[in-house]
Order: sequence, then C-alpha cells, then structure tokens
Amino acid sequence: MKTYVVGSGVTKVDRHYDKNYLVLIDEAVGKTLANSGLDASDIEYLVVSTAFSESILNQADPSTYIAQNLGFRNVKALTVSSGEVSGAVALDYAHALIRSGKASRVLVVGFEKMSEYPSWVINKVYSKILEYEVEGIKNVAPSDYAALIMNDYMRRYGVSRESIIKWSIKMHENAVKTPHAQLQFTISADSLSKALRISEPLTMLDSHPTSDGAAALLLVNESVAKKAGTTPIELVDVESSVNLPIYLRDDLTYFSATAAAYKRLSSRNGVKLTTNTAINVYDTYDIYGLLTIEALEICARGEAVKCVDEMPYLNVGGGLKARGHPVGATPLYQVHELRELMSGASWVKYDGDISLAHAMSGPDNNAWLILLKGWV
Amino acid sequence: MTSSRFRVGIVGWGAYIPVYRIKAKEIARQWGFDDRVTDSIWIEEKAVAGADEDTVTMGWYAARSALLRAGVNPGDIGAVFVGTESKPYAVKPSSTIIADALGISAKKLSTDLEFACRAGSEGIRISVSLVESGAVRYGLAIGSDTAQANPGDVLELTASSGAAAYLVGPADESVAVFESLVTYVTDTPDFWRRDGSRYPAHGEGFTGEPAYFHHIVSAVKMLMNESGLKPSDFDYAVFHQPNGKFPLQVGRMLGFPREKVLPGIVTPWIGNTYNASALLGLAKILENSKPGQRILVAPFGSGAGADAISVLVTDKVLERVGKAPTVEELIARKKYISYAEYAKFRNLIHRNLW
Repeated sequence: MKTYVVGSGVTKVDRHYDKNYLVLIDEAVGKTLANSGLDASDIEYLVVSTAFSESILNQADPSTYIAQNLGFRNVKALTVSSGEVSGAVALDYAHALIRSGKASRVLVVGFEKMSEYPSWVINKVYSKILEYEVEGIKNVAPSDYAALIMNDYMRRYGVSRESIIKWSIKMHENAVKTPHAQLQFTISADSLSKALRISEPLTMLDSHPTSDGAAALLLVNESVAKKAGTTPIELVDVESSVNLPIYLRDDLTYFSATAAAYKRLSSRNGVKLTTNTAINVYDTYDIYGLLTIEALEICARGEAVKCVDEMPYLNVGGGLKARGHPVGATPLYQVHELRELMSGASWVKYDGDISLAHAMSGPDNNAWLILLKGWV
Repeated sequence: MTSSRFRVGIVGWGAYIPVYRIKAKEIARQWGFDDRVTDSIWIEEKAVAGADEDTVTMGWYAARSALLRAGVNPGDIGAVFVGTESKPYAVKPSSTIIADALGISAKKLSTDLEFACRAGSEGIRISVSLVESGAVRYGLAIGSDTAQANPGDVLELTASSGAAAYLVGPADESVAVFESLVTYVTDTPDFWRRDGSRYPAHGEGFTGEPAYFHHIVSAVKMLMNESGLKPSDFDYAVFHQPNGKFPLQVGRMLGFPREKVLPGIVTPWIGNTYNASALLGLAKILENSKPGQRILVAPFGSGAGADAISVLVTDKVLERVGKAPTVEELIARKKYISYAEYAKFRNLIHRNLW
C-alpha cells in the first residue's frame, strides 16, 4: 500500500504573540483540507507532532485538545514527541498506518510556540534536545556544538569563515521568495563582522531564529489519492539512524547518521541525489546544512561551500535558517515546500521526479530522511 | 481620547542628568556579553544617579529649572504631578516633597503617577486639561526615574537616571503651544515589576513589535488622522528612546526622515531615563528650536501606551533657553565611573549595616 500527500497547509512562521497553538493549527488544517478536497469528517487519524508542548505550554498530549478544537468527533488522536525530529517521526507513523492498511486518511499536524517566554527560558528548553545528564547539567547548549564543529571544519578543510556564510545568504534569498518564511530579508557577508556572537565563531547570522508556526499534511492511500481534487505526491519511504554521542565521534565533521540513513534509503529505492535534486535539509546552523549535503553524497567532503551555488533546489523555502524552525512543525514545513515545488506551486520550476526532506536532532544525533516522488 | 487646542502651552521646561556615566561596553564586559551588543542597539554610555540622588532630588532640580525659565510665582501653580516608576517611598508621594521644596502653595492637586515610562507625559496631559478647564493657572508635570534593571540583563546596558519637568500654562505665556494631543493605551504586558520584585522583567522581543512600535505608530497615526498633519509638517519628531535604535526605526516606519529624528535622540549618551526619556529629547529640541517650528513628541510606556503630542514653538523660547542648564550642557558635564562604583551608587551591593 502506497502513501500519498494530497493536502498541505502552513501558517506564516513568525513570533505569533497574539495566537495560541490551537489558532495556528486551525489555520494550517483549514488550508490543508481546502486544498485536498477532503472533509474533516473523512479524517481517521490525527497524528500531532510537537517537541516542547509540555515544557513551554504545560500541555501533555495536545492531540486530544487539537481534535476537540478542530471539531473532530470520531477520530483516533495521538501525540508524537521526539525532539527536533518529532515531525519526521509523526510522518513515519502516519506512513506506517497507511502502508499497513490500518488507515486510509491520516492528518499529520505539527506545531510549536517558541516565543512564549524570554530567550533564557526558551534556550534552556531547546537545550533539552541534548542529553541532560551529560550536556544539560554542564550548560552545554546546541549552539556550542555548532561552534566547535564549525571550527573543526574550517581547520580540517581550510574553509574560510566568510565562505560558510554563503549558506545563510542563500537561505535568506530563498526566504524572500517564500511567503510563509520568517526572515524575509537578505543578508551579506559584510554583515558578518557586525553580527552578534552566539558562541565563537558562530553568530546570529549562522543560526535559526526562534519561531512559532503550525503545518499540516494530509496523507492518504492510493484509492483515496486517485479521487483527490489535487495532484498527489507520493511519500515513498522514511529512513533514519542514530549517531554516537558527539564526544565519542572520531570525526565531528562527518554526519554519519545522516549518511547511514541515506545509504539504506538510496539502495532500497534505487535513488541517488545530485546537485539538481530538490532537497530540504536541517540547517539549524549553516555549518550543519553544509555537512548534511556532504553526508548525502551530493558534495565531496570539505567541498560543500562550492556546491551551494550549484544547487537550485536546495531549501527553496529558506531552510531553518530563514524560513524558521517551529520545531515540531519543521519537517512538515519541509514536506509542504517540496510538495509545492513538485506540483509547480513554488517560486521555482522543478522537473525532477524525486525530492528529499532531512531532519535531525542536534548535530546529527538522530537523523531522519523522507523520500517523496511525483505522481506517476 | 483627543483634544485640540491653542490656548495652553509649555511655559517653562527643565532637565536634570546626573554627572556620573558608565560606558555601556564596561557593563557588557562585566557580564560577558558580546561587545557588539551595545552597537546593535546604539548605546554608548548611561547616566548614573549618585549615592545621594533619587527621583525626588532629580525631579526637584528639573522642576526648579522649569520655574526659572517660566519666571512664574510658585504660588500660582495649582497642580504637581510626578511620573515615575522608581519612587523613593513605596507609600508616600514624591510630588509633595518636590512641591514643598519649590515653595509651591499648599492649595494644589498633587500626586505621583505610574505608567512605566509615560506617566510623566500623562502628567502633561492632565495638566493641559486642568489649565484648559480653568481649574488651575499652571500645572507642573515631572518625569523622573532612577531606572532599575536586573544586573546582567540586557536592560542594564540602558536603564539610567534623569529627570525632565514641564510647566504647563496659558498659551500667551508659552514657549510652545499644544496643537493636538492623543493617547493610545491597551493592556499589553511587555515589561513589569511585580510587588516585592527587586527588578523589572520584560518580554524581550515582545517589548518591540507589539508594544513600543505598535503603540507609538498607532498614537502618531491617530494624531495625524485627527489633526490632518503629515510627517512633512513637522520639523522634529521625538520618540521614547529605550535605546538609540528604536526611535530611528519607528521614525522610519512613520515616514519621518532621519534628520528630523536624530536631533531629539539623547539615550545613546545618557541611557534610557524612563519617564524623562522622550521629555529630555523634547527639551533638547526646544533649546535648539526656532519660533514657528512644529515638534511631534511621542512618549511610550510599557503596559502599554503611547502619547502623540504636537506643539508649535513661539518666539518666547529664545529668551528662556539660557535661564537654566540646557540638556546639551548636562550631557557634556560628566564623570566616568567603574562598574563597582555604579554598583555601589545604585545599591546593587548588599551588606550588613548592623
């Protein structure tokens, strides 16, 4: 049984001070149902993805209240919470429901409200993606690892600080063309010297912003997809892998979990990514985006900065860097952007057959890949 | 709430800025901030009240200058308002101390007002109404603060001390007459200090877009709509200035060119004096203005509200500037202190006193 995406909708990624998570989800689900041609009463499963609703919103299992708020009366609802990869895990679960024949119409909803508290609170919550008993109690923040890795990468491959920022520059250029992106302005390498340092040499220009947002995807089986009022995109496969703790890795600059997941996905599905494949990868920090395209074998090790300009379909929505990172919703935003790209609704035309979304927790601690294919 | 009139104006004004300064970069270094944070919000140094200064002493000095410029009999002042969020006494008015020290008659209205950084301008609005109605001949509105900030909070880079005072009275005695006054207020919790808390808390980015920018833009647009005035009709625009960057940014949003906003910016050199912030900017403009020029002043207070006030300068301004210290003279008069001295002056060091 194959899985298809027949509807998707997102809110603008922003600091939504005046909207709670239910209002954001209402908007995303409304758009999703509207462009799928299906009705709320058709939904069998509601799979909700959030990383931090318990920490930030004091809400355990929000799926119950989301279902109630959406007016879903006879639906099976559950919450998936798996750190920064929650959205990818939720999609895998929905995919499994459809593949197994247990469900034919599954609505996946992802959300996060990160602007509810001052940054010192939110930074502490976000740092929970690392291992609390090892890193948390020692006050190591995710950005500290990005800084260490950036330093190591520059030293190992002789890459300059100014060339790494090329990634962020491209992400901001893409965000300007993406209506739902958070940071809709361009940046330049000249801004680097004035940018505030997060953790030397990492600056604000290298990092994702604090974001609120909600996204929804409607996944269905083949028979429902054929009757859908829109061109479906196939969700072909999901693969993942867990890396060693960062302090046990031989090489900080190699994202081996992403690489292992890609090898399995690639051989199982007979696909190979190139610079012309549409991909949407996690770039919580620009250095992570660069390491990811190397782990995905699109660019040689140490050569990623040279590839960036040759990749027209790289994070067309602006990436986590500029579209923003509403954590539990981010993988759903990625798939939504790829769906728009493959269905001709994006700002750039794409003729490729496949596309790939990549999500990961921290510096490749847990990497997930989602393979999509156009309707044949 | 709006009013438009030409019968009331500013009869006298005064300023006070403590002599002590601490460099913002020294505070940044103290707490391990990136040095560039001070440039990103445009703050060079801030004024620090000395160990023997508080809201009352600073407010008195500014008010005395306002009276010197106005040349009125203190006995004719029928109302005294002190806008502050740093009262020396939790219970006991500051306004009574200042009024008595100035020799103002006991037959008066007198109270302290609290609305974060715009209580001083609320005092001006109330004074305008009292003078307009004939209830008093002159009303004295003072904005004075020794602003608090949690040590190590980014707010500490700017929170400073200072005072401004305005004597409101009949238009024919005024250096500037009020043309239009509006106020825009909502319940927006962007910055607060709970009872018993030593320092205020704030919502970081929430203090910007939904608070400062939304309220000032709304108030100024309201004034423009109701008065028919446009940015090009004003010679200067003065906004509340929590830092040097925000007033330039809000000026841009409203269509005021940089050269009309820059002259009223004082915060980069003295910090955010809270209730005196925009009012010191207005004082500096008045001291450099020419008769016939039009000034927009838009104070903002967290919680949140903004006023938009349009004044027209009269020819009386020229003769009164030199009767008391100007803002520029007070800014230039300075003595640098260390973080340790600042901590001592602002009572940040706690010790047993037996």
